[in-house]
Amino acid sequence: MILEISRITMANIENIFVLIKQVPDQSAKAGINPDGTIDRAKAKRMLNPFDRFALQAALHTKKTYGGKVTAISMGPPAATEILLEALENGVDSTCLLSDKRLAASDTLATAYALHKVIQSLGKFDLIFCGLQTTDGDTAQVGPQIAERLGLPQTTYCEDFKIENGKVIARRVVEGGHETVKMELPALITVANSYHPLEYKSLRGARMVQNLVRNKTELDKYIKTVTLDDVGADPVKCGLKGSPTIVARTDKVSELGGSCIIKQGLPVEQMVAEVIGGTNILEFVR
Amino acid sequence: MYKKMAEEQEKLKEIITPSNKEVIVICEQNKGEVKPVALELLGAGRDLANKLGGKLSCILLGSKLDEAIKKLIAYGADNVYVADNPILENYQTLPYRRVIVEFLESFPLPPHIVLLGSTTTGRDIAPRIAAHFETGLTADCTELDIGPYEHTNKMDPDKVGLYPGCLYAIRPSFGESLKARILGPWKNPQMATVRPGIMLPLPPDYIRKGEVKTISVNLKPEDYRTELIEIVHEINKSVNLTEADVIVSGGFGLGKADGFDLIKELAACFENSAVGASRKAVDIGWISYQHQVGQTGKTVRPKVYIACGIAGAIQHRVGMSKSGLIIAINKDPDAPIFKFAHHGIVGDLYHIIPELIKQFKSKSSGEKEEKSLVKQG
Repeated sequence: MILEISRITMANIENIFVLIKQVPDQSAKAGINPDGTIDRAKAKRMLNPFDRFALQAALHTKKTYGGKVTAISMGPPAATEILLEALENGVDSTCLLSDKRLAASDTLATAYALHKVIQSLGKFDLIFCGLQTTDGDTAQVGPQIAERLGLPQTTYCEDFKIENGKVIARRVVEGGHETVKMELPALITVANSYHPLEYKSLRGARMVQNLVRNKTELDKYIKTVTLDDVGADPVKCGLKGSPTIVARTDKVSELGGSCIIKQGLPVEQMVAEVIGGTNILEFVR
Repeated sequence: MYKKMAEEQEKLKEIITPSNKEVIVICEQNKGEVKPVALELLGAGRDLANKLGGKLSCILLGSKLDEAIKKLIAYGADNVYVADNPILENYQTLPYRRVIVEFLESFPLPPHIVLLGSTTTGRDIAPRIAAHFETGLTADCTELDIGPYEHTNKMDPDKVGLYPGCLYAIRPSFGESLKARILGPWKNPQMATVRPGIMLPLPPDYIRKGEVKTISVNLKPEDYRTELIEIVHEINKSVNLTEADVIVSGGFGLGKADGFDLIKELAACFENSAVGASRKAVDIGWISYQHQVGQTGKTVRPKVYIACGIAGAIQHRVGMSKSGLIIAINKDPDAPIFKFAHHGIVGDLYHIIPELIKQFKSKSSGEKEEKSLVKQG
């Protein structure tokens, strides 16, 4: 059951922020060290897959209720790639926080820095985040930003509408879902059961094509800021501002190694042997 | 050279971060019934508290909690801090956050460790508590321990020192077959969320005594900015992953969304079965998130787990490796799944699964015939 979106609405949405992150592409072999760690300089980069749902939610909000979408990211200069991708998809402007002093930030430091960027950008109605990233897997930064900004939040949101200036959001919970009504401004983390990102608009793609050729024009759409620009305290960022540290990584010992593998025989025979070698028939209807 | 290094290490000053040595578990309940993950956390927390020489306590918010309190003490809690109030009957971010944060602030010394389940509730509120106290939080741990840590990183001289009694928050990490030990000894409480279904609860002892203390509830107007409208429990057998005897899961190797039709057909061969999926299959939109097994999905322990076209990355493995019998079907003989499955078939799943279905169907009708023959005899 999908919530019906009413197009006649009292909502007066002006500014929508969406937070996105560039992550290493784990499916590509490049940049994956033999020990399993990632060489971020060599790894192929991509938009965090969870953020595609957040982008869709932001663009849908704009289309249905009005307002402008600003995509915000934190990362090295290469992260402009995903901001261009966001522009292709139809966001109106973007902002990149890039500063060497942010290196080795954990979720607390990241949320601190991003909340300063958000404050520097002025008033907003809704902030969308992906549920989590594929490189950190924590799902912490969204709620930590909400805490810093004192906002109500809905995490694991899989659908929403705006009615009378309030968001009605459905969130996934264990064994079902719940519906929450929230005052604006608010923060939403979008589950991957939300609608997938629509195809890029031809207009967006063309615009970005032209932008890349014209540096001054590009700078109008991608605002790059440093910690000083947004008034962030460097002591609360990066290694210094991170209360956690990865003290050690261990290779997970190879498990078992006692798998009985069937290979290269006729399918019928392999299947029969596996069935015969287990108690699986006990469970067959 | 080694001697010099050893001397340098000896010079490290021992630093004790202030705490009352208490380990606190923030418990989830539903209609006064304690959620299993809370009991699992008590099992893990008991061990940590014993190692620290501190108390194991619970924070419990809800309504009509008398039975729940008894249960928590039986499962190992020394203290139960309770906010029993109709307004807290169901979880809501802002009111729960207010009550927990204000209560923790009332401690003269902070607790040493705060643990939560890595559930939709735990992952909603834990980051808010951690951000409020500006303390470290490790997500989705699969192991916890206590131990010392020597911080020697000269890049960060203020933090250098020897820290005893650190929480080792251990979780599968980015990349395959790695696990990371994450520490945050500079500030207490040290926080972690722990994946459900991994830690073992202690055997309950209803003679155990524990202290019960009331937490005061002082909500502010801004805590009412959200309103819970409805809670829906879906009874959908094909996604009841945690209770199924047999789970048939599909991965990226299916190659297309329609592949899940075949997975469902195979699952339908079994009595109490469910359909699972790897994250890649979910991310690409072939099947909904509720089916996802693994680090960011569900942790399952069925009697039989059949993995079809799933490579078996650590993120998937941690969610299903405790299954009774694991059967893997994959075209790549080097796929990691064959390292921990019990039985494997290398080949095209679009040939193998139909054959499995065929043989199960013939075997099941064959067995029924046998049974009826016995009856006749």
